[in-house]
Amino acid sequence: MIRKVFIISLFVCCANISFGQINLDVDASVSNLLRYGNGYEYSGNVRNAKEYFENLTDARLKVNGIVFGLRYNVSNPIEYGQNFVGIDKRYIQYEHDIGVSLRAGDFYEIIYRGLSLNVFEDRPLAYDTGIDGVRVTYNHNFGSKKNPFKFEAQVLGGDIKYIDYLDPDREERYKVRGVFTEISPIKPLTVGFNFIYSIGELPEQDLITTVTSNVPELSATYTTQDFEFYAGYAFKSSIITPNEIYPDPNTALGDGVYSSLSYSFNNIGLTLDYKNYRFDVTLPDNRSNTRPSRMLPYQNPPTAIREHTSVLISRNPHVVDFNDEVGGQIDLVYAPNDKLSFNLNGSIASRHYQYTDTDSGATVSYERVDRGDSFLPDLDDAFSPFWEFYLEGENYATEDLYYRLAFARQSSVLYNQLNPNSSEKLLTSTVPAEFKYSFYKNLTFKINAEMQWVHNSIRVSEDKNFTNQYFALSFIRAPDITLTVGSEFTSDEEEPTGKSSWFIGEATYQINQSNTVGVGFGTERGGLKCANGICRFVNPFSGFRLSVATQF
Amino acid sequence: MKKIILTILLVFVFAFNLSAQTYNNFTLEDLDNNEITLDDLIKKGPVLISFWALWCGPCKEEMKKMQPIYEKYKDQGFTYLAINQDNQKSVSKVKSFINANKYTFPVVLDTENDVFEAYNGIGMPYSILIDMNKNIAAKHLGYVTGDDKIIEQEIKEVLMAGSNYKGDK
Repeated sequence: MIRKVFIISLFVCCANISFGQINLDVDASVSNLLRYGNGYEYSGNVRNAKEYFENLTDARLKVNGIVFGLRYNVSNPIEYGQNFVGIDKRYIQYEHDIGVSLRAGDFYEIIYRGLSLNVFEDRPLAYDTGIDGVRVTYNHNFGSKKNPFKFEAQVLGGDIKYIDYLDPDREERYKVRGVFTEISPIKPLTVGFNFIYSIGELPEQDLITTVTSNVPELSATYTTQDFEFYAGYAFKSSIITPNEIYPDPNTALGDGVYSSLSYSFNNIGLTLDYKNYRFDVTLPDNRSNTRPSRMLPYQNPPTAIREHTSVLISRNPHVVDFNDEVGGQIDLVYAPNDKLSFNLNGSIASRHYQYTDTDSGATVSYERVDRGDSFLPDLDDAFSPFWEFYLEGENYATEDLYYRLAFARQSSVLYNQLNPNSSEKLLTSTVPAEFKYSFYKNLTFKINAEMQWVHNSIRVSEDKNFTNQYFALSFIRAPDITLTVGSEFTSDEEEPTGKSSWFIGEATYQINQSNTVGVGFGTERGGLKCANGICRFVNPFSGFRLSVATQF
Repeated sequence: MKKIILTILLVFVFAFNLSAQTYNNFTLEDLDNNEITLDDLIKKGPVLISFWALWCGPCKEEMKKMQPIYEKYKDQGFTYLAINQDNQKSVSKVKSFINANKYTFPVVLDTENDVFEAYNGIGMPYSILIDMNKNIAAKHLGYVTGDDKIIEQEIKEVLMAGSNYKGDK
């Protein structure tokens, strides 16, 4: 159906252009990203040959306000995910001055803060929840220009194919329909309502489980020059059609709240985030990435934790459980002058409840221990808590000298319900530092050094403490050359690959303003990698990598 | 393997020879819900649009270096327009970050990456200098220390070409 709509739209647009060849305003642009790698990938201490070749060409043609876009994808063999050769994205978009926008084909969308709908692609994580369908948006300002009454409405529909990278042969399919409205009756205030309806088909044991979901959402924003407050609430109801796996009729209910407050005064900026996600609060032995009652793949609310750029801090990311997590974040930026700035960040999160085993026999039967203040996180180990403290200072001391120093302390518990003494408790302290010095017009030296102390309670050896070090030296000639030599060391005797050091050399050359080439050779440690709350384990890699980015 | 080598060679050939980019007008809201239209800014003088995000370290360095350059040339019609790419989820921190750093250049939100897509963005920071005739005068993908000096020179040249240049402040 979508394909037909796309072809008809293409035909109509082409016909319009052919019949009205008076003033053709044509613009075209193309970008290309080539990635090639050859070497070895480590799974534990097993070494496997690894080669990948990916070339993504994005082309965009604009003819009299109508945009045609496509992406030609050659991923054979792909680095992560499934091999693909052909056109994997294509769309037509038309925008009219009266405020109407129409898009047919592939698109991504986020509504409000993503509580009910946030579909996006993250290729390094082999994650793509893009919609193949139609989206119509109407946007108009009524009243005076100084104090307009803003109105926005959107209708969308289409198909989503969701593949979890852990099980690439299992494909969930969703038919999604949505309607979204937002009004701003007075300049500082915006209120919105959104409703998403979907029918999902989830494969399991040669059977398909059908899940019909309704996700309404409300949101409100109040903004002034120094102040912003946002609150959003989404409710999810999933009706699971009985089958052999789920024989009983079941309607799973869940909801999520996200709120943020931002305030700035003098040279201080303060942001507070609060999250309370209960999209599928269930007993410990029921939790699963494939549960039909879980949060839907097209939902993706804010993580409300800091995303780090430090190599060692980001090795131990907190994996947000959108089905059962409550917590928040405080972020403070203080810039006493235009050279110096500080950033303080603290975040905390936990599950809502703890559970007890009520069966005294050999079987396990969990029961939830209710509590009245479940809207707040709890740091007791039974709640699998996470907390983080981060402080960073950076100084552009002179025009040529820059340095940055930070300290991070992170604690996380992965509670083992059957044997609490075997719970994984991870406590890390990390000090990242950066130093940059420019000399002789456009030449710069950069040093990145990081030190990390780790305590991991499930290490087999008696000494559960170890350290990690990261050191990188870069030489930069603006604007075209960057050379980096990086190294990493660990004293962890239980490192899965058995290695204790990694070395890599990287070079980037900007051929001209449109084209950049990057090459790298060496060993990479791998580890857990997260973006937008989506996490996956990246295997260690040893070998050669090439990338060519082109925009023309 | 032959195909791979051939494709890599082909990409290199294109990379050395092709360079073009087209102007796309847009209207986006700033941090106080005011609408900013590129066409309106271009009427006053050249515009450097720069795509950035809070998680992007080089983007923040570029902004720090661009603030004095913007102050230096804004009276000659130049605008540095910072287009934020943080999505709706992390956008709450943007306002406090900008206000705390006392940045005076306009900052707009492109939370759905529509403008980034229209300008073929593939990475950040990504800056495009547009002259008063709506031609792309320069592009920078990525930012390394020292790029600000090159960008300032490009701004001067564009101001001179448009007869807007009245010397450094």
